[in-house]
Amino acid sequence: MHFELSEEQNAIYDLVVGFMADKWSGDNRRQGLDSYPCQIPGELLREVADLGFYGISLDENSGGGGEPLLTSALIAEAAGGGLFPSLLTTTLVAAKALDLCDADSNWLAKVISGQQTVAIAIEEPNGCWGLDSIELTPQMDGQGGYLSGSKILVSDGDFAQVFLVAALLPDGPAFIRVNANAEGVEINSMRRLDGQSIVELEMKDVRFEQDDVLGDGAILNQVYDIWTVLIAADLLGNAQSVLRMTTDYAKERQQFARPIGSFQAVAHRLADIQVDVEIGRSLLYGACLALEEESDEATALVSAAKAWMNDLGVNAAETGLQLHGGIGYTWELDIHLHLRQARSNAVTLGDSKYHRARVASHLMSPEY
Amino acid sequence: MDLKFSPQDEQYRERLRAWLDVNLKQHQAVSKAGDVEPVQAARDWQKTLCEGGYLGLSWPREYGGQEASLTQQVVVSEELARSGAPAPINTIGISILGPTLIQHGSEEQKQRYLPKILNGEELWCQGFSEPGAGSDLASLQTRAVAEGDHFVVNGQKVWTSLGMIADWCFLLVRTNPGAPKREGISYLLCNIKTPGITVRPLRNAGGGSHFCEMFFDDVRIPRENLVGEVNGGWHIARSTLDNERSGLSGVISIENSLDRLLQISASLNRGKERAIDSDSVQQQLAQLWIEKEGLKYLGFRNLSDQIANRPPGPAASVGKLFASRLRQKIGKAGFDIAGPLAQVGKKSPHSIARGRLQAMYFDSLGYSIGGGTSEIMQNIIAEKVLGLPRSYED
Repeated sequence: MHFELSEEQNAIYDLVVGFMADKWSGDNRRQGLDSYPCQIPGELLREVADLGFYGISLDENSGGGGEPLLTSALIAEAAGGGLFPSLLTTTLVAAKALDLCDADSNWLAKVISGQQTVAIAIEEPNGCWGLDSIELTPQMDGQGGYLSGSKILVSDGDFAQVFLVAALLPDGPAFIRVNANAEGVEINSMRRLDGQSIVELEMKDVRFEQDDVLGDGAILNQVYDIWTVLIAADLLGNAQSVLRMTTDYAKERQQFARPIGSFQAVAHRLADIQVDVEIGRSLLYGACLALEEESDEATALVSAAKAWMNDLGVNAAETGLQLHGGIGYTWELDIHLHLRQARSNAVTLGDSKYHRARVASHLMSPEY
Repeated sequence: MDLKFSPQDEQYRERLRAWLDVNLKQHQAVSKAGDVEPVQAARDWQKTLCEGGYLGLSWPREYGGQEASLTQQVVVSEELARSGAPAPINTIGISILGPTLIQHGSEEQKQRYLPKILNGEELWCQGFSEPGAGSDLASLQTRAVAEGDHFVVNGQKVWTSLGMIADWCFLLVRTNPGAPKREGISYLLCNIKTPGITVRPLRNAGGGSHFCEMFFDDVRIPRENLVGEVNGGWHIARSTLDNERSGLSGVISIENSLDRLLQISASLNRGKERAIDSDSVQQQLAQLWIEKEGLKYLGFRNLSDQIANRPPGPAASVGKLFASRLRQKIGKAGFDIAGPLAQVGKKSPHSIARGRLQAMYFDSLGYSIGGGTSEIMQNIIAEKVLGLPRSYED
């Protein structure tokens, strides 16, 4: 019985938090809002890749760091708290997806080392989330087939050289590898609320071969769960940062000749967020462990973490904005950046209602 | 990271399950037959637990304890909660007074009181709160004046759980009214049969009457019943207040309530469908499950801290605050799910689950008051965890 971070995990978390504080700030994110997309400069991108984190939760045989999934979640958490672009999380997921799909090791090596960006395309313009609402069905022939249709909300699609496109094949769902520069591919920026990259991927008779087909339904489910839990981690880090910022401000800001944090109307709202952050952290660790151990409850716990963190992320940022008063409502303060990021992530890969429905189906299942 | 217990702990769990299978059934049969008076039956059950070696797990052997490992303590609280076994009737004595005496009592006091706390021979209640001293407990006014080898006590205590059946009471009294409020309090052990004590039951909002008010009128308590030093009582009481809620038994009891609610919603019809088939009910139940899981994994984190000998500290307030809110959400959800019949009394044939939901609701309302109100928990978190300035004069 030990349900706590290892020394390595604590060290990695501290390292990433420190890295974010040194190399990144809200100003970078603000720039992205004025000149979309928010982008990591080339040199910094190199440094991020050199940290060697993209493959941290892959087996050592696959060229990874041999760490559990939770270590990736901690990195996503630190990145989320530091308003760092989603490319880091996207790549953590892409590496994991390629590994699960047994993709060619040279390809995987390129992604882990940061030489190639792979984006994952799941959602379609039907107003729904989840693998169950995928309708994109390729025309198959003997050696492969053709893809026509569109995917939307593809994170970091502006930077991707390759897309993993989730589609319905005769044997069930799978990823199809589509190059960004393939004939028939059109990429349109969708401009996420927080200035980050999301795109619409339009495909018209895009040719793919048999070995461009990767994974199966079970693997796609796993990828969806892993990605969901990392976004939940991002939301947790975001809330934690807002809580820290707002607590610091409440200690300094004087009104009625005393710090506003000494008023219970202020203090209790911050205490409530602290409680929700602790519960969120517990859910995050629980979900990562369940995924790692392939527990029957894994999907329900992932959904629990995402539903909780959606609400936490948005509530923390809105509360932070309110408790900062006038200054909280300015463009200069980072709070609205946190709020934009939380609002966007809270509707990425499923809102709270969607994930509560997934939990409910677990509770209704005969195994429960 | 893993949530597994050692094979030894699992064997211990198996033995306890087998033991419960026999002994709990026996106790339930006796209770159901109704031949034994309920308080006596509860005392007997505690004695059975004690003789089985499942009480006082952390206590030293010389006073009847088991000196069991922390994980064994967790296994016992888990299994007792899971089996639906009643808590030992002397819970207040076991969880609050026992650890206090072990830490601060004299050798005579330990030998005199601890074994009888465990086997249920002497039931204890706690005399802390007063009409004027609730959240601000340190402002208590019950006076104790030293007279020869006695203290003479005058005052009133309130919200005394088990006061009607207890044999003894541990008391906080003011021994130095001139000193700062925390420096003038002493900790006394008082036999409830002592002349001058009047106990009156108070009915709680749910209709039950498990707490009381106690009046002290020139009550003479022997000096040997003082725990620790004169005027040192506040710090003694504080040191065991944080001790209270460890382990996962609270979560399991919440889990049991939630499971009951799930079963009831599957058996209730609302219009043409079962209550549980409605979207909004599913959303509500899912949210409760999510929060229950959050509390459970928070419990695992706290437990890991304890195993690694890291003190729980103010983080315990997080669990207490969240757990009481969750109990209340479950209680309220019961009313939502029951719909129009939620209001029907338990003795009516139309009542739902013989009033269980109503009882669950009223029970839940006490959790955010007893043992420190939720607002006090928020203060503690704001001050001790977030480091915000104190919000009130003290």
